[in-house]
Amino acid sequence: MDLESLRITPETPVGYALQPIKKKAAIQLMGSRVWGRFNPNHWDPAYAASTGLENPIQTGEMSSAYISEMCVNHFGAAMFKNARIVCKYIASTLADEVIVTGGVITEKTPKGKGFRFKADVWAENEAGEKKTVGWVEADIGV
Amino acid sequence: MSAVKSATLVPQSSVQKAQTRDFIEGLEQDSKPYWDMVEIGDELSRELHITPELVILYLDPVEDYNPWYEGWRMNTWHIEGESPFGGAIVPPLLVSHFVLSVQFDHTKPFAIGSIHTFHDSEMLEPIPVGATVRITTRAIDKFEKRGRRYVRHSVEVEDVATGTLYFRETRDILSL
Repeated sequence: MDLESLRITPETPVGYALQPIKKKAAIQLMGSRVWGRFNPNHWDPAYAASTGLENPIQTGEMSSAYISEMCVNHFGAAMFKNARIVCKYIASTLADEVIVTGGVITEKTPKGKGFRFKADVWAENEAGEKKTVGWVEADIGV
Repeated sequence: MSAVKSATLVPQSSVQKAQTRDFIEGLEQDSKPYWDMVEIGDELSRELHITPELVILYLDPVEDYNPWYEGWRMNTWHIEGESPFGGAIVPPLLVSHFVLSVQFDHTKPFAIGSIHTFHDSEMLEPIPVGATVRITTRAIDKFEKRGRRYVRHSVEVEDVATGTLYFRETRDILSL
């Protein structure tokens, strides 16, 4: 797929929906060394149960990474210069859940020769239960 | 957590189970709540060399295969890579992920029971793969909200060689 077809342009309207990213919270990935290995609540079912968790929970930063991937697909190079991502982790992502990201353009403010776009973003499970919510900003055509 | 459910999520032999228990016991030794480890104004700083291999280690568990980030490719190994900024670049939130290794003083046992709850991250300039950055964190607030204790940090990430400010962040950690 040519990701250029997804890119936000100065003509993109408020209300435009970002295309989702879908990932499985696989426990073997959650416990990898540079992610959750330092905390067994992220990868060990017995330890997680001992702390009252139904299942090991994914690090919130993994859902931020999913949201970031979606944003790079849409905003391209603009996500790397004067861009902003704000995320709040409002519920735990449990091992084995399937997580789907979403987003919608909410503001489009004139800036220079282009616009500063703002989008609400989120990550939720397949039941529609929000896990992470936030917003992003990026300059397009500025 | 039933044994059946656990075995389904993480199939392990008896050797692996024993290794896992040993590893967890090592993590728990001497650790204490993060709230007790941090005072407002505490500042910590470390340098991180963002090698091509580190970028891959970060990306594979989140299954992000964008070629802009590839300064290492199987069979070829080190490559310059390609992105809109020239060579391979670092994913937007990679340095945010490694802030954890700075704000939790790595010279002390890891603080148990801490949960990252919020981040407000600004990507100011693209970071080339291969850069060495200095991550500086400063504890700016400790507060309680609905009976829970939080520690807030401000973060800056700059290039060690050029001084370029790449990234800024405010982040909250919930502590036991």
